[in-house]
Amino acid sequence: MTEKKKRSIFGRLQRTPKWKKEEFTELEYEPTSVKELLTEMKDISELIIDLAYSAVLFDSDEIAEEVKFLDVRMDKLNYDIRMMAMMAARTKEDSEQLAGILQIAEAAESISNAAGDIANLLSLKIKTRPIIPKILKKADESLFRIEVSPKSKACNQKIGVLKVESETGMRIIAIRRGDCWIYNPRSDTILKEHDWLIVRGNDEGCIDLNKFLKGELRVLE
Amino acid sequence: MKEKNAEEIVLEIKDKSELMVDLAYSSVLYDNKIIAKEVYDLEDVVDALYRKLQRKSLEDVKNGKHSIDDALILLRIARAGEQIADAAQEIADVELRDVELHPIIKMSIREADVVFTKIKVEPQSILCGKTLGQLKLASETGMMVIAMRHKDRWLYGPNKNTKIDPEDILFAKGPEDGEKHLIELGAGLSNQI
Repeated sequence: MTEKKKRSIFGRLQRTPKWKKEEFTELEYEPTSVKELLTEMKDISELIIDLAYSAVLFDSDEIAEEVKFLDVRMDKLNYDIRMMAMMAARTKEDSEQLAGILQIAEAAESISNAAGDIANLLSLKIKTRPIIPKILKKADESLFRIEVSPKSKACNQKIGVLKVESETGMRIIAIRRGDCWIYNPRSDTILKEHDWLIVRGNDEGCIDLNKFLKGELRVLE
Repeated sequence: MKEKNAEEIVLEIKDKSELMVDLAYSSVLYDNKIIAKEVYDLEDVVDALYRKLQRKSLEDVKNGKHSIDDALILLRIARAGEQIADAAQEIADVELRDVELHPIIKMSIREADVVFTKIKVEPQSILCGKTLGQLKLASETGMMVIAMRHKDRWLYGPNKNTKIDPEDILFAKGPEDGEKHLIELGAGLSNQI
């Protein structure tokens, strides 16, 4: 390691990334219902693919970090669901049915691993990346970045009230507010001016949403 | 037919693998073996595409069409897509086994953020006789049609030229409030898209 590089890493106060904290927390047995675990795993497995592609498309280390965090979280969930399933099995029929649940959980976990691999592409040299947007922009449903203008009616409104997804088909997968990020916002998440939204959907929906967030369109319908 | 270039193959793998995940989850939700079998078939398609891409990207590098780095990125994205496709197949495999599904599986998929729904298009519905492109269902209701049944025929990942006929069964995914809207449209209770 060169002297210069050493100095930039060592002897400096560094924040532990969220995924690392999660990885080194002790696995403790917490009784959670198998249903809750499986629901969370399914949600993550869908969100994480979009986040991983967004990370490489928009060249964002922060989103890649979140992908890593979710990937580690998924490992923990998979561990928990195995324990819970084993405790629930009493008969041969039980275990046959529970084996199905575990198989779905395992599949959700492999999806998150694949997403982790995609996000890892970010660690490659910058000049090789222009090919990624070239591929991803042509997909059926693509990812877009839109800013909320102060003129838009969306400011200080809940996502659920605006019905962004059911009116435009655009799913908000992350919001950037200043230095902070909100991943997988809920219907009670409030949009603020100058938020950057990362959304997934088709071109038509994107045009509508873009007009609305710029303030050119007063209502979504 | 013009041979696809490497980028197009990668894109096809990406789109197919995501469709497979949706189909796999809906196959277990609706206990539907036909959809699960389709996931199996699509997995073969994705495998074949991946093999084709491997050869294609090597050729491209040799002909100087792509740099080694570009080809590597293409292969890595495609491999991730292929892994996602494998995972979807695993999910479909649960449905195809001769074991009754645990009720929890359905409950978890129903309660998730994105819901799957199945609707029948009634003859009086305004969806009849129109193409998906005309209806703009995805951008107007948020519900994306991932599969449909037309009499005995199945269609997976329909495009904007796909026409909806009376008695068709649509499988769609989207937000909860979009689901209600789509159900009303299909039943002919609402004419407002």
